[in-house]
Amino acid sequence: MTTGHANDTARAEAFKQHIAAGGKVEASDWMPGEYRHALIRFIEMHANSELMGVLPEREWIMRAPTLRRKLALTAKVQDEVGHAQLLYRLAEDLGKPRAQMMDDLLAGRTKFHNVFHYPTQSWADVGVIAWLVDAAAILSQKALLGTSYAPYARTMQRICWEESFHIKHGYDIVVTLAGGTAAQRALLQDALNRWWGPLMQMHGPPTPPEHDRDLTLWRIKTRGNEDLRRDFIATYVPRVWELGLALPDPALRRADNGSWEYSPPDWAELRTVVGNHGPRSAERLAFRRLNYEQGAWVRETMAGEQARTQTCGI
Amino acid sequence: MALETPPATQERDHTRAALAELLLALADDEFVTGYANSEWTGIAPILEEDIAFSSLAQDELGHARLFYELLAELRGGAVSPDEIAYDRPPEGFRNAQLAERPRGDWAYSVSRQFLYDTADYVRLECLLGSRYTPLAQAAASVIREERYHLLHAHTWLARLAAGDTARERQHAAFTALWPDALGLFEPLPGEAALVESGIQPAPSAALCQRWLEQIEPMLRQLGLPWPFAQRAAGWEPLLAPHYGGRAGRHSREFAQLYDTITSVRRLEPGAQW
Repeated sequence: MTTGHANDTARAEAFKQHIAAGGKVEASDWMPGEYRHALIRFIEMHANSELMGVLPEREWIMRAPTLRRKLALTAKVQDEVGHAQLLYRLAEDLGKPRAQMMDDLLAGRTKFHNVFHYPTQSWADVGVIAWLVDAAAILSQKALLGTSYAPYARTMQRICWEESFHIKHGYDIVVTLAGGTAAQRALLQDALNRWWGPLMQMHGPPTPPEHDRDLTLWRIKTRGNEDLRRDFIATYVPRVWELGLALPDPALRRADNGSWEYSPPDWAELRTVVGNHGPRSAERLAFRRLNYEQGAWVRETMAGEQARTQTCGI
Repeated sequence: MALETPPATQERDHTRAALAELLLALADDEFVTGYANSEWTGIAPILEEDIAFSSLAQDELGHARLFYELLAELRGGAVSPDEIAYDRPPEGFRNAQLAERPRGDWAYSVSRQFLYDTADYVRLECLLGSRYTPLAQAAASVIREERYHLLHAHTWLARLAAGDTARERQHAAFTALWPDALGLFEPLPGEAALVESGIQPAPSAALCQRWLEQIEPMLRQLGLPWPFAQRAAGWEPLLAPHYGGRAGRHSREFAQLYDTITSVRRLEPGAQW
């Protein structure tokens, strides 16, 4: 036992060195339990966010105002479901069954991103979500292309490629509304006012590197929270201002040295919201639970079909 | 119109109006079905099927757009496909009532998809021979995608028939669906002119028989409800079809659906979205 334990410790050390040197890990490789758990937790939350993220936008599929918007929005939401599926499969490969992940999500034991706990109030929200929420998300997601877990990196290549279309679709909606009637511009400004706070919180609070083991020890992600937020602000604030729109932060300005100043995001709100106490947390989880329960007989039918096929040796 | 011999003016106007109604019925069936199927996007019982049903919805909306474009061209390009699709009262819709029912449970939705897509396939096959060339070309392009829809529909038909709970639900779905499904073959007011001019090479009654002949062996083999009696002239329904959709009469459920579909657009009529 002692020898086995010593061997495991040595193996874990060698594994950490491999990661520190920029090495990659495949699903079939040996990995320390702690790394496996960290991966599952990280990827599962990512998958949950994709899955719960379809709900706010889905509400507008039936209300999309033109054939083109309707097609684009259905395709976008379909992409997000596809991302959820790809990510859940990664987590399944790491050892957590999909049914368990669904149960944990629906029981509130696992989390999903803050932005998907808020209501969507108008068509302008659809534009702001697809443009800015997806833009903020793609920064985090691009930082996963260099992740130490190689299957995750490969999945992220496809996801990032699709997300870049979502940003175009969202920007197109925003530009159309910005150039539209006074009422349309008012809808857009109202959406921005409501989404800006959650957007600023989305990458999470600044975390000292020594406390961010996903970043520094396991290299599951490659960039820190504050770094991502600053990148988002520097890229997108000028674009929002170019459209003649305002952002609800009086402190927001580019300093003489080129860096951006902004009010501290509301971290108390973030904690409350991701703890499933956001404005729509309970409602969205209940809706997801209801649909999951209503579809149980379909999954049982398919399981029965698989069992029969296996018995027949087909 | 690309007919070989142009009919006399009055007759031509009549045929043209009938053609417009046909294009609208084709487009509206796909448009409303596309909306109904997209209701599953994000909430289908399994993720893989969520993705499949969203693809069906997108195909149908793409087909709707194609038929609205043909109609816009026929009307001389003064109105856009979006204006035709969205900016009219509910009674301006020519879809069969089958398309406008709420999605129901999964058995209802996939059974409706089976009945709709098998019927649509028969209709499109017929229109491949249309003497209105743009319509024949559109049918050829649409029918390629519809083959995948049939594959999906057949898979679920057999799958549900093999499970216990699933089978009960499937029976209930077919029982509810039959009168609506027969409504797909409600003749358009100007059908005689369409058939005579070769725009629609066969009358709806003949298409309905063709459709029933095609699906009868499968449905009877699976023991599904088959409310028809065999007569010398073909299958005679033992229940009253739900007609009215082709003449703009719709269910109460459609009023709600219509309100939802047009809600954003009605905020600022005439604006760009």
